[in-house]
Amino acid sequence: MQTPHILRDFDQAISTLRAEVISMAAKSRHNLERAIRALLERNPELANAVIADDDEVDDLERRIDHLGMEILVRFHPVATDLRLVVSSMKISMNLERISDHATNIAKRAKKISANPELQDVTLIEPLYALADHLLLDAISAYSDRNATLGASLHARDKELDRMHHEANATFGKRIEQGAGRSEDYLHLILIVRSLERVGDLATNIGEDAVFLDAAKDLRHESNREL
Amino acid sequence: MSSSSNTTAPVASIEVKDVDFNYGKSTSLKDINLTIHRNEVTAFIGPSGCGKSTLLRCFNRMNDFIPGARVVRGGIWIEGVEIHSPDVDGVELRRKIGMVFQKSNPFPRSIYENVAYGPRILGEKRKDVLDAVVEKSLRGAALWDEVKDRLNESAFGLSGGQQQRLCIARTTAVDPSIILMDEPCSALDPIATAKVEELILALKENYTIVIVTHNMQQATRVSDRTAFFYLGELVEYDFTQKMFSTPSQVKTEEYISGRFG
Repeated sequence: MQTPHILRDFDQAISTLRAEVISMAAKSRHNLERAIRALLERNPELANAVIADDDEVDDLERRIDHLGMEILVRFHPVATDLRLVVSSMKISMNLERISDHATNIAKRAKKISANPELQDVTLIEPLYALADHLLLDAISAYSDRNATLGASLHARDKELDRMHHEANATFGKRIEQGAGRSEDYLHLILIVRSLERVGDLATNIGEDAVFLDAAKDLRHESNREL
Repeated sequence: MSSSSNTTAPVASIEVKDVDFNYGKSTSLKDINLTIHRNEVTAFIGPSGCGKSTLLRCFNRMNDFIPGARVVRGGIWIEGVEIHSPDVDGVELRRKIGMVFQKSNPFPRSIYENVAYGPRILGEKRKDVLDAVVEKSLRGAALWDEVKDRLNESAFGLSGGQQQRLCIARTTAVDPSIILMDEPCSALDPIATAKVEELILALKENYTIVIVTHNMQQATRVSDRTAFFYLGELVEYDFTQKMFSTPSQVKTEEYISGRFG
């Protein structure tokens, strides 16, 4: 909104809220990126850093909720301002879950790295690339108030679902073949599931961005036109 | 006038068509068109001087008492009758359209007499009928239990909130169909305000209510539809839920979210 609010405190609170959400998004995305790197580069220290940094994301979730509540109580926002507060609080919840998935991936990366190198780990890369792209677009849809971009995530997430099924089948087959690395393949199956969940959570964030920008609730809708 | 002649009950209680209103040479309302729906609460919001109270006072022709103030174009139909037509009597119109003001203004009489005053003026003399009207009106205004043992005491002994509810009882005692409220809670504390708001919601079952308010939260709490006025024009008129979540006009959004001026 271009016109400044009569209360400068309000404008300040709103910009702080947005900035905190964007910072939380950057941290969650960074955690996911490092977790995948820890897996691919067999780097348990990096994995430990991801696990440790999850606390920062948890703190941000609490801060955003607190700030959102304070804005609701003090200023009784309406219309776009109200949607910004509500969508920010919901997005922070989704980002916290994404960071949790990053932590899960980091924990599994440590376990896989403790064993001899496994070539099939690289199969994760394209899934991560797509999940990260969806996440980046979801965050941009929120920060740039771009409902069209936010609404596009649902359809694009289908490709990630397809890749998830494919990877599952591959890893499942390896387990059946009894290659002797069943436990690692099980970790990979669960890592792929985490990435698939990141895609779902990015889609949720995209829907929250649509609600913010266009005041439309696309959740559970078959007709997803804006 | 009523547009839907084929429906069983007209939904329009007040129809405003193409109204321009002047105080002397200065125009206070420009090209106002809106329909107030029966048994709904309609809120008028907007900054001071936007014309919302002027329009409210047009409905019961209160502006007749101000020299030079008049509707210069268009018309206002209340239940199908144009209120400026020669056969409409201003006093009778104001009986049908009650009004509650910003500051409670009980008469310097007893609680009972305040409520009985209107029916008496209309010629009712029977004590039992008056007693029944007083009780019914005070009950309707959620005041009966608080005052039933001191009906003959002065109305000035009541708290501000009770006085305002007494004024609402006094208004309903003459059986109006429409109640106009001009910032009825602006002088009340939050508890008294909540009681009046609760009353407004109860009254809409039997009355059509138009309320002018500067309190946006009040508009969202009590009204079904909201009209936003700015510089004598009706900027937007829609369901309250829609107005406060996704207003169509930028000006409305700026005003309700405090980004104004």
